[in-house]
Amino acid sequence: MTDGADRPLAGDVADLLAAIERAAADLGLAEEPARFVAALEAGAPRDDEPGAAT
Amino acid sequence: MTDRPLWELAADVRGGTLSPVELTEACLARIARLDARLRAFITVDAARAREAARERAAEARRGRIAGPLHGIPLAYKDLYAVRGLPCSAGTKLDQYFVAEREATAVSRLAAAGAITLGTLNLSELALGPFGDNAHRGDPQNPWRAGHVTGGSSSGSAVAVAAGLACAALGTDTGGSIRLPAAACGVVGLKPTYGRVSRAGVLPLAWSLDHVGPLARTVRDAALLLGLLAGPDPHDATASRRPVPDYVAALAVPVTGLRVGVPRNYYWDGVDDAVVEAVREAIALLGRLGARIGEIALPDPRVLVDVANVLARVESAAVHARLVREQPHALQPAVRARLEVGFRIGAVDYLQAARLRARLTRAFLPDVFGEVDVLAMPTIPEPAPTLEAVRAGTTAEVVRRMGRFSRLTRPWNALGLPALSVPCGFSPAGLPIGLQLVGRPFDEATVLRAGHAYEQAAGWWRRRPPLD
Repeated sequence: MTDGADRPLAGDVADLLAAIERAAADLGLAEEPARFVAALEAGAPRDDEPGAAT
Repeated sequence: MTDRPLWELAADVRGGTLSPVELTEACLARIARLDARLRAFITVDAARAREAARERAAEARRGRIAGPLHGIPLAYKDLYAVRGLPCSAGTKLDQYFVAEREATAVSRLAAAGAITLGTLNLSELALGPFGDNAHRGDPQNPWRAGHVTGGSSSGSAVAVAAGLACAALGTDTGGSIRLPAAACGVVGLKPTYGRVSRAGVLPLAWSLDHVGPLARTVRDAALLLGLLAGPDPHDATASRRPVPDYVAALAVPVTGLRVGVPRNYYWDGVDDAVVEAVREAIALLGRLGARIGEIALPDPRVLVDVANVLARVESAAVHARLVREQPHALQPAVRARLEVGFRIGAVDYLQAARLRARLTRAFLPDVFGEVDVLAMPTIPEPAPTLEAVRAGTTAEVVRRMGRFSRLTRPWNALGLPALSVPCGFSPAGLPIGLQLVGRPFDEATVLRAGHAYEQAAGWWRRRPPLD
């Protein structure tokens, strides 16, 4: 954006990236994005639970 | 007739007491009468809907029923590739998205017998939680003209609330199914990430995008999810997990179900009428036999930051050509949000994706070791006026957007199933939504809790004052 009234958005982005950098500081070396889907699959109900396939 | 739940209408069609022609004509008549002011549709395909209705009626007379949606008129957010119809994605361009094939979700519902009425209005590129669209005409809240519908699946919620379609599909990247469902007084379900194929749906941010139904009742949403869910060779992210019988699961009572009420974040700065309605809804679940308890959740603000980084970068990548070649074709707030993505580096993007994995792995055992379902508001305030959400600078408008979707966005980051169910009205007569969130791939439990509440509370019977 070039409109002067929208300049604060640049500050918002800087704050956002600083927050990500802080939170990511202690990520394990082996952490990778694909573990997100693996976590969902692992967290699903077991076959003998109410939400399991019938 | 168009006020009735989808599952009842479908049963009548299968039983021969309701003709698909009669039902389709009722929807088309309502669209003709109301949509000039509601602005739910972008394209109405009346001719093909009538032709399909005649075919379904003839098949029904011969005793040939295609599936559970035989002869049921539906409509799709204009982000889905629908055979024979243009896809604008809410932009100025009539044909912005051309897919290789029809969206899998649309094809599955058509194979179950559904009739396509047309495509539905939305926030431009699905980027906006209020649902307004200057290019295509602002959808109006059916409960109170001049107020936003919620978005981005605004037309989907309006069409269902106003009885223009028996149900609709939307998409949800930060709340875009649940926000309009709550603001318009209908049911909206964002399934687990990967539960429903997204093939043939224009992405906004592929790490966060979800496909799901908006419907009049939880039972309708359960029926639709059962048809939509499952693996798809055209979408590598679609899970191969078996699909439960979601409708059958509704019959299980909620006795003993552990419902967690977040102690932190989800009540901060929420409108008093919303707090009161949602607290009362949770208390009713308790009277139905659920065990209600407070729970401290891991700080959702990190999840919101993660979702924002992923969403901004991925949406900038998807729409880079449009932003660079035709920036002035975009509404200012949409353009501003897309441009943010170009300022975020690859390392920050990947750190956000890695953080998401770690946060999800920590959240699931911590929270779902203690509860089965979480309950909280969907929207922090009843639908504001169109005038109010557009006031101020572009930066102010963008920040207001972030505040409106702050209760839904964390669940996109975590990929968990989340349902919005109507739970009352503000003093001004605007709907309020209860949000229920469950374990991954446990839509059955979320729907069960929503159904039990809905049937006991009865808000779903109320209709907006349109006639």
